[in-house]
Amino acid sequence: MDAPKKPVPVVNPWAKPFWDAAKEERFIIQKCTDCGKYIFYPRIACPHCFSDNVEWVPASGRATVYTYTVVESNAPSAFIADMPYVVAVVRLEEGGVQMLTNIVGCKPEDVRCDMPVEVVFEQLNDDFKLPKFRPAAK
Amino acid sequence: MSKLKGKVAIVGIGEVPTGRFPETAAIYHGMASAKMAIRDAGIDKDEIDYVMPTGALYSPAFNTELVTCRIAEELGLKNVKKNCQIFAGGSSSTCALEIAAALIYSGAASMILFVHADKLGTGVTAQGAIDLFSTAGISAEWEVPYGQHYSAVTALSTMRYMYETGCTDEHMAAVCVSNRKWAELNPNAFFRKPLTIEEVVKSKMLSTPLRAKQSNMLFDGGAAFIVTSAERARDLVEKPVYLLGEGGVVTHFVYSQEPDVSRFGWAKAGRMAFEEAGLTAADMDLAEIYDSYPIFQIIGFEELGFCKRGEAGEIFLRGETWPGGRIPCTTNGGMLSQGHTGAGGSVALLVETARQLMGKAGDRQVPNARFAVETAVGGTYMDAQVSILGTEIP
Repeated sequence: MDAPKKPVPVVNPWAKPFWDAAKEERFIIQKCTDCGKYIFYPRIACPHCFSDNVEWVPASGRATVYTYTVVESNAPSAFIADMPYVVAVVRLEEGGVQMLTNIVGCKPEDVRCDMPVEVVFEQLNDDFKLPKFRPAAK
Repeated sequence: MSKLKGKVAIVGIGEVPTGRFPETAAIYHGMASAKMAIRDAGIDKDEIDYVMPTGALYSPAFNTELVTCRIAEELGLKNVKKNCQIFAGGSSSTCALEIAAALIYSGAASMILFVHADKLGTGVTAQGAIDLFSTAGISAEWEVPYGQHYSAVTALSTMRYMYETGCTDEHMAAVCVSNRKWAELNPNAFFRKPLTIEEVVKSKMLSTPLRAKQSNMLFDGGAAFIVTSAERARDLVEKPVYLLGEGGVVTHFVYSQEPDVSRFGWAKAGRMAFEEAGLTAADMDLAEIYDSYPIFQIIGFEELGFCKRGEAGEIFLRGETWPGGRIPCTTNGGMLSQGHTGAGGSVALLVETARQLMGKAGDRQVPNARFAVETAVGGTYMDAQVSILGTEIP
């Protein structure tokens, strides 16, 4: 039996610019023009000051690993073939905003908390590229 | 601060054993538990005027029956004016208790039956349950596509906590051993054989650093409790279990948005509940902390003020939380040993808290237990809920 297809992001309309940019390998996040704080994931209003004045800005793609795990068994069906794979929460250089991702481009056992990483884009299907992170170039 | 302190009490509890019952419909677990709770309270069934079922995860059809009054009809409850589901995942019990208390305090209800039943042990396959818990409470846009699921969620919190505090695998395993010591004395628990640290740390790795024996397992089960006014409670039972304090903090939906995954909102939620009760951790005879995985029991224990951050592992390892120990913790064996029945995992813990305070805990009864703190948490640890319960109103 074929493995089930990978789940694709169920896109909220206001987050579409993020996914459109990711498809072009551009990493953008929101910033509030009133309070100046960075925002991820994309919101319909600033979660800090509730302003509607949120804009899209390029992010550097640099981050650090806040926490991580290597999934070695009991993965969801669509991910069984990927084991072992690394799930991590990273903190972006922009205001320490956090996102869930996979760490790629290194052995799973080499990932550490607080290690510097940088964004890469992995093709998921014709419609989506997922931002993932790899150890930062020295 | 709410006005609920000492105004309502739990007067009856019911629970069926946690296990695998493929031939038994889920509704049975709910009805059997409800019947026990009504008899335990010593009331006429027709005194129940409000039925408050919580949600079941395994079957939409069964869930619909809970919502559409099957419990009330099957039990022949003749004076029910509302049947209303309260569902907050794993924190359903504690959330429902506060809502029930408010309804009673306001006069909108007088005798509330809360019921949980589910069939996660035989209603779904093992892989089906993993798949269910890779989407339930996990963002379909931001986390599902990365292979997130509950073992990984737990592992992410465990990893950061261990990194920041130096807590070891043995410390985590000690939580599992402590819970098992209690489960050995609990006839409703599924896992009752003694467990060693070595067995836990040698068990299969799921998601680093989380191992199989540090993980709860899903089972069938049911539990119920009855809440009424403090005044009515005193006429009914010898030891009403008064609600003394409530606290709660909703922290996130998308797990990665939580800024501190090794603390969450427990300190604030605990402070709210203790302040309302006018008590502190030092006054507690029982720490009934929601587990499902050892890290969450450790975080809860520390953030509620039973010890400093980073010290819980040693306390569990020294046996201070065991039967006969200084601060009995999660005395039904928790979801790690009694077994996880969905929203019912927390219901079981709330029922156990009441049972201990009522003095009905049999072989594992903590002598002279007067005050207890009980916690519950939903989904990917997105809310921290704390209740203080007691047999006296301080």
